Amino acid sequence: MEVQQFHYDNKIVQKFLYATMLWGVVGMVVGLLLAFMFLFPNVTDGISWLSFGRLRPLHTNAVIFAFVGNAIFAGIYYSLQRLLKTRMFNDTLSNINFWGWQLIIVAAAFTLPLGYTTSKEYAELEWPIDIAIAVIWVVFGWNMIGTIFKRRQRHLYVAVWFYLATFVTVAVLHIFNSLELPVAALKSYSVYAGVQDALVQWWYGHNAVAFFLTTPFLGLMYYFVPKAANRPVYSYRLSIVHFWSLIFIYIWAGPHHLLYSALPDWAQNLGVVFSIMLIAPSWGGMINGLLTLRGVWDKVRSDATLKFMVVAITGYGMATFEGPMLSLKNVNAIAHFSDWIIAHVHVGALAWNGFLTFGMVYYLAPKMFKTNLYSKGLANFHFWIGTLGIVLYALPMYVAGFTQALMWKDFNPDGTLVYGNFLETVQQIIPMYWMRAIGGSLYIVGMLVMVYNVVVTIRRGSAVEDELAEAPALAKVTYRRTAGETFHTWLERRPVQLTILATIAILIGGIIQIVPTLLVKSNIPTITSVKPYTPLELEGRDLYIREGCVGCHSQMIRPFRSEVERYGEYAKAGEFVYDHPFLWGSKRTGPDLLRVGGKYSDNWHLNHMYDPQSTSAGSIMPAYQWLVKNEHDRTGVEAKMNAMVKLGVPYTDQDITEAQTSMAEQAKQIEENLYGDPEFAKTYEADKTYAKENGLEFVEMRDREIVALIAYLQRLGTDIKVKDTEKLLSENRN
Amino acid sequence: MTSSTCYHCGDPCGSNPVRYDGRHFCCNGCKTVYEIFQHNGLECYYDLEAAAGTTPKALVGKYDFLDNPELVEKILDFNEGRTQVVQLHIPHMHCSSCIWVLENLSRLNKGIKTSQVDFPKRKVKITFDSSVLNLKEVVLLLAKIGYAPEIALEDYSRSKNKVDRSLIYKLGVAGFSFGNVMLLSFPEYFESQEFWLDQYKPFFRILMFVFSLPVVFYAAQDYFKSALKGLRSRILNIDVPIALGILVLFLRSSTDIFFDLGSGFFDSLTGLVFFLLVGRFFQQKTYAHLSFERDYRSYFPIGVTKLNADGTEENVAIYKIAKGDRLLVRNQEIIPVDGILIKGNAQIDYSFVTGEAIAVSKLSGDKLFAGGRQVGGALEVEALKSVSQSYLTQLWGDTAFSKNKASSFQTLTDAIGKRFTMAVLTIATVATLFWLWYDPSKALNVFTAVLIIACPCAIALAAPFTLGNLLRIFGRHGLYLKDTNTIERLAKIETLVFDKTGTLTSSSGNKLVYEGMELTAEETSLLRTTIRASNHPLSRELYNILIGHQISTLDEFVEETGKGVEGRNGAKAIKVGAAQYVGATADTAVSETAVHISVNEDYKGRYVFKNNYRNGVVPLFKRLFKNYQIMLLSGDNDSEKSKLQRMFPFQFPMFFRQQPTDKLVFIKNAQTQASVLMIGDGLNDAGALAQSDVGIAVSENVNVFSPACDAILDANKLTRLDHFLQLSKKSITVIKASFILSLCYNIVGLYFAVTGQLEPVIAAILMPLSSISIVVFTTTVIRLLSQKLNTVN
Amino acid sequence: MSVIYVLLSISVCVALIFFLAFILTVRSGQYDDTYTPSVRMLFEDELVNSKTTNNQKTDKTD
Repeated sequence: MEVQQFHYDNKIVQKFLYATMLWGVVGMVVGLLLAFMFLFPNVTDGISWLSFGRLRPLHTNAVIFAFVGNAIFAGIYYSLQRLLKTRMFNDTLSNINFWGWQLIIVAAAFTLPLGYTTSKEYAELEWPIDIAIAVIWVVFGWNMIGTIFKRRQRHLYVAVWFYLATFVTVAVLHIFNSLELPVAALKSYSVYAGVQDALVQWWYGHNAVAFFLTTPFLGLMYYFVPKAANRPVYSYRLSIVHFWSLIFIYIWAGPHHLLYSALPDWAQNLGVVFSIMLIAPSWGGMINGLLTLRGVWDKVRSDATLKFMVVAITGYGMATFEGPMLSLKNVNAIAHFSDWIIAHVHVGALAWNGFLTFGMVYYLAPKMFKTNLYSKGLANFHFWIGTLGIVLYALPMYVAGFTQALMWKDFNPDGTLVYGNFLETVQQIIPMYWMRAIGGSLYIVGMLVMVYNVVVTIRRGSAVEDELAEAPALAKVTYRRTAGETFHTWLERRPVQLTILATIAILIGGIIQIVPTLLVKSNIPTITSVKPYTPLELEGRDLYIREGCVGCHSQMIRPFRSEVERYGEYAKAGEFVYDHPFLWGSKRTGPDLLRVGGKYSDNWHLNHMYDPQSTSAGSIMPAYQWLVKNEHDRTGVEAKMNAMVKLGVPYTDQDITEAQTSMAEQAKQIEENLYGDPEFAKTYEADKTYAKENGLEFVEMRDREIVALIAYLQRLGTDIKVKDTEKLLSENRN
Repeated sequence: MTSSTCYHCGDPCGSNPVRYDGRHFCCNGCKTVYEIFQHNGLECYYDLEAAAGTTPKALVGKYDFLDNPELVEKILDFNEGRTQVVQLHIPHMHCSSCIWVLENLSRLNKGIKTSQVDFPKRKVKITFDSSVLNLKEVVLLLAKIGYAPEIALEDYSRSKNKVDRSLIYKLGVAGFSFGNVMLLSFPEYFESQEFWLDQYKPFFRILMFVFSLPVVFYAAQDYFKSALKGLRSRILNIDVPIALGILVLFLRSSTDIFFDLGSGFFDSLTGLVFFLLVGRFFQQKTYAHLSFERDYRSYFPIGVTKLNADGTEENVAIYKIAKGDRLLVRNQEIIPVDGILIKGNAQIDYSFVTGEAIAVSKLSGDKLFAGGRQVGGALEVEALKSVSQSYLTQLWGDTAFSKNKASSFQTLTDAIGKRFTMAVLTIATVATLFWLWYDPSKALNVFTAVLIIACPCAIALAAPFTLGNLLRIFGRHGLYLKDTNTIERLAKIETLVFDKTGTLTSSSGNKLVYEGMELTAEETSLLRTTIRASNHPLSRELYNILIGHQISTLDEFVEETGKGVEGRNGAKAIKVGAAQYVGATADTAVSETAVHISVNEDYKGRYVFKNNYRNGVVPLFKRLFKNYQIMLLSGDNDSEKSKLQRMFPFQFPMFFRQQPTDKLVFIKNAQTQASVLMIGDGLNDAGALAQSDVGIAVSENVNVFSPACDAILDANKLTRLDHFLQLSKKSITVIKASFILSLCYNIVGLYFAVTGQLEPVIAAILMPLSSISIVVFTTTVIRLLSQKLNTVN
Repeated sequence: MSVIYVLLSISVCVALIFFLAFILTVRSGQYDDTYTPSVRMLFEDELVNSKTTNNQKTDKTD
């Protein structure tokens, strides 16, 4: 029972550190590539798996789950051991956690570019990977809680609480948002439809930010800032209040992502109110973090680590102030769908997550390898270029977002839109995109400098893989003993057991909740005119999902005069009842597509997909030529339809049995429409004959992917096409 | 710089420091601690905090009472098998180094399993293996490294009963429910008619109801209790309208939702309780490391060494001492009971008991009073009484100690409460009567609405936040209050009564003034050398004053107990002591305390001991004299009277030779004219402090013993006393102002209520708005007012 | 919109867990001392570099 000697597991921390840096570079480089695609749309010409739509989710996932994720693990695995004065519960679990997580990342890196996606933001990965994530996450939690059990320090430092909260909530969020019905090895449909799906998705989306990008980093802040500054946190009491209030408020703030959507107003407003309330605890934390450095600002001047942390905390403050502002309806009306949001998230990601991670790395690397940082100069260089990068990134995006949003809403005296052509509003902000790309480049340069700096540091140092430490064991405490005491170990362990039990309880409770929801179709009110998609349209929709069109095109017309004028009738909840998953989107790099059906001819769509600039000069949409060339595999449609039936879409057995024929007909019809254009007929026939002569096998147009996509696009929003917009305007004005 | 200051404790090392390991130490004690740390790999102690240590005091047998198993059992938190747990109060704990070393005790002794520090409480909880070392050894180990624990039995009898955290639970419950109820009630405010909302209303409302249950029946119970208590004793305190409000809120809301009349006021209900509890919590700031409850028992030793007839020594609990027992009192120990000095050279320092500045020497056969501290060799004393019967300790029999000032004092809030309740009830009834005549269907609605909206949440918050803030600010400036109630009493003070010794004078030694012929350097060094050997308190003081002079060796040294000492070095012989002993011719004031000196039998002069008054006392009195009546109450003789009268440009009553009981009685009488503030320091003031309306104990080191009181004042901050008093007065004005502010809100609310158009949303807006604005108002105003404290010093 | 039931119950459940955890930790005295832990976490107990924590000043709480 006396002082025990034991070893801290530094190896696992080192692994996660390496992974952090590796994936950080990857994720950011992809991001940079995307930034340049705004300027040179066809830079990756013809390579389907390098197209914007497919890389965007790769970027977000790589940065959030690979870069930040590994950083979180690195930080937790380092601080948890030291805060609890014990080695991690089980090295095998630690390694499963590490390799499992890297495997998931690799899987993502393959599947996403190949177009296997659920299209739900930050949850794009398909069901097998979702399950893997759940498993690995539980392993992590198990390992962490096990460590808490065998700890040598009775008090759980506030950081540990932030870690625990992260584990529980992320587990719950991930599981409930990823409830999907598999139809194939890498294809599934969300169990929720339309509005409901949107609600769940953004409840998740918001809390993913809250509990994956915020709470764990607050935990890291509460550990590494005091450590780096070598002085206790400004007010420990405040940090405790910070934790509990944050936990109790954050969970509610989801719906503000759906303002002006088809979601009921009261649900939206609820989101707003609680988002506003979030300012209090968030700023409490920020102030606590900054005041910790009071009296050591001289240190901040010299120490790169602290510099990074200061900017990180400030970034947190800015983001957490801007967030609630953005959730105000009138602000949101402008900001939503625009680049403003991009700016907002990148302040959070680049400053708060990025810089805190960098600070952490600069603190850990020398400690892990028992040496000094190779070059303070380079670290400072990284700091300055990184900060400059953030500024050059954020400011232009704010301007871009604001400019474009205002142009969208600009009316002539005669009541027509000033910029009727969406492209005008895009052209306007190209310069901002340039600056953004430059800012991003600077940030990456900084990142690379850090990698170099750290690598050299590691080379010079000597890795202590198992660090010897000693601490007295916690005395065994019998029940009788606890009688007169202030702490009760037996009680104290309860929260942990409770966490596990309750998590399971929720899951069960949740399932019980869900099952009826799925079975009872009656509770989805349908607009009689709204019909399920035809088999071909359904296939087309899956192509739309595969290519990640939702990344740039929304399908949600908000009830504003400007939007109704530009896109047509505003969106109704009842329209989306068959949308598994919903495709409302969150960004309008291109125009909204909810009512695109019938707007253009089939030929227009064909040409537009083949060469966007040909139909719309100056468009920054990349070409999707493979859609036009590839043969379309439609064999799986019955399975898909059956799945849809399970989810409450009223396909009859007949519909399903006749699916193939119906597709053939509809495809043929479209092909005929295409022939309506002599230009098309000429070139197409030419191809055909050429193929014949050279004995090449030739894919009929009706069998190609593009046909299905056209079918879907032409269907969009046609179920309720109301001509009399004036009536609607008067409706939604009051 | 380290060459001249001790590497361990930072004190000056003097001319000949102890050198060890290339470092300087002021004494061997510090050096030993350093050695211990070094040998156990605890040097890190010095890295964390430079010179953080404290010199370990030589304490022969101080902790002997820990040999007494019965006492040990009392002190131990837990004792089972070989595992024992104890919580020790360590006043010297002051920095991160202390925390670090105290939590690494296990490196000093393998028998110690764990040790956990609670810094705010200055406590360390130690788990140790009783088969390796016993409690006494643990305590001695701590003492050896300069962290001597302070052990007082009564502290333990108190700490055994568990900490009361019910308020935090209640706060948690209220806060949690409040949050959820808000979530559920808002939708109906945003949108009344919406398809989905109508679907969920029942679900939401039921949930709200469920959430409100624990709030009403658990979190709010204190208000119901206190309201009932008030009513029983025919007092309409502020909790009556509050309880009424909560009850009505709950009933009205429940009926509303069950008969589908509306969404109810659950958000207001939970919010109200939550805010009220926050107020309570804020008010409840306590100084964990201070104790305002201490009586003589925590000053007296827990156990004493009893000499049995057969000559054997035995440790007995102090309360076990019986008349006729023979006791052994060692150097620096306190005499526990009145007794007769049997043998030993008694130099008793009564300063803490009687205020008598200078120790008195007693000869065998003399009577010794309990509470005196022996300085010098060990004494043998025969007890005349038991502890509780002793002269000093009888004081605590007085009723002054049993009465609870806070409860007998009616706070401003409660004073308001009475009228407020009356007003509300009348308005309610009148309004109801009107509606009964005009539109009976609405009558009940109006009645309840009035009671709901008039619920004096804001009023109830005004005092807690005003006083709570002030309490904290005072704390930051060296005045530690027992509770916020004290501030209200402080504001009412008209008369100030000061103790002299230790209060107006600094206990850190007297001022020594030499009168007579100049002594040569040689003579001075001889003088110092001579008195060095003597442990007569005056000699010790003189010795310290003369620090810096060389120490030579003596050829001859004689000490005549009670008379003086003589030292010879070569041709020079020096006599130090009483007038006649040195053969002084010059007559000296009897009341004066002086050490006379003669060299080679011819009289040189004398060192006179004068009280050393704290700086700024005079200006402080000048400032206070304007608004308050000032008196001085000293247990000391009146040798200083004339000096005091010269010190102050104005006259104020002074009373000397006041025994503890006299002081108590004096205050009692004074209270018949005005409410009295007593400022004292010693046990002799304990009675007065307890009797007075507010008793402030002045202390040089707030962590060590100070008698029971309402507030502890850091001695260096004494001169701020007038500012503290002013602020207390102002705070009352602030409270009154915020009452008016909250009344405005009530009037607005009442308008809606009386006209029968109080919607839940209005209540939901008014309730938090009023509460929050009150909190903001009081906090800011108090902070602004207290700015002055930062400037003065 | 039946999903609201789901989300609400999940959210409330999660909140409940944390609430219980809160109560239990207060019960277990975790928050009796809200200062020492912040200092304690600064101490390094690695033997190899037990000297690296140097000269940091912490203010006393009262």
